[in-house]
Amino acid sequence: MAPQIYFELKNAVVGIAGLGGLGSNVGVALTRLKVGKLVLADFDVVEESNLTRQNYFADQIGQHKVDASMENFRRINPDANLEGRKVRLTPEKIIEVFKDCHVIAECFDRPDQKQMIVETVLTKMKDAVVVSVSGLAGYGRSNEIVTRRVSDRLVLVGDTVSGTGPGVPLTAPRVGIAAYHQANAIAEILLNELHTKLAR
Amino acid sequence: MSAVLKINGTEKTFDDGLPSNVSELLTTLEIDAATVVAEIDGRIIERKDFEKTALNQAQSIELIRFVGGG
Repeated sequence: MAPQIYFELKNAVVGIAGLGGLGSNVGVALTRLKVGKLVLADFDVVEESNLTRQNYFADQIGQHKVDASMENFRRINPDANLEGRKVRLTPEKIIEVFKDCHVIAECFDRPDQKQMIVETVLTKMKDAVVVSVSGLAGYGRSNEIVTRRVSDRLVLVGDTVSGTGPGVPLTAPRVGIAAYHQANAIAEILLNELHTKLAR
Repeated sequence: MSAVLKINGTEKTFDDGLPSNVSELLTTLEIDAATVVAEIDGRIIERKDFEKTALNQAQSIELIRFVGGG
């Protein structure tokens, strides 16, 4: 028999905003957790340079990340309930695309985009929790990446200071650590806090 | 006249008086407004309101800053 957590997670809906190094890996973890439904949003296509850290394969170069991710997640679970949205997210679109989500994973690259989604969720989407990431560039310093509960509706993952820049690349191991912190924070929220909401 | 704000849990003294609004505070702290979510006494202030949101002595301000990468 499947462990109890899988039964509890089957009614959960999680949004993933951005399918780069964070989102493509968060989606893998949440698919393996059998989260009830994932809403995936990204307008980009897979490029060769993405393969250094994002969960795509060489034969997917040129595909929309939404299509490639749905294909990959369905190889893990053919019954996965996935909604793909090829859209450039604005505050209005965020509200529309993620309206049914209990938790939203902020998986953007640019700091102003991160700001936009966190502000939008906190001020306009009163029932959703946002799990965001700030500070994951470079390599090493695994234990400097932490998960911090900023408020009831905001979790912040990262070391808060390591931005991308000249000589500071994004690497698979450190992006992966942050992505799995993010997925683990989402699992914790769904199982510990939304438990009563999900059981209905 | 000096004034005090609590910023991210630490008291900061402004010797020449409080910055007049959130925008001015961020300029003083050399923080790019486009990359920060601001909360004053537990209430989120939208970025579009930074300039018209006045600051008062002894307020508690959380500045959640974002750096690139994802």
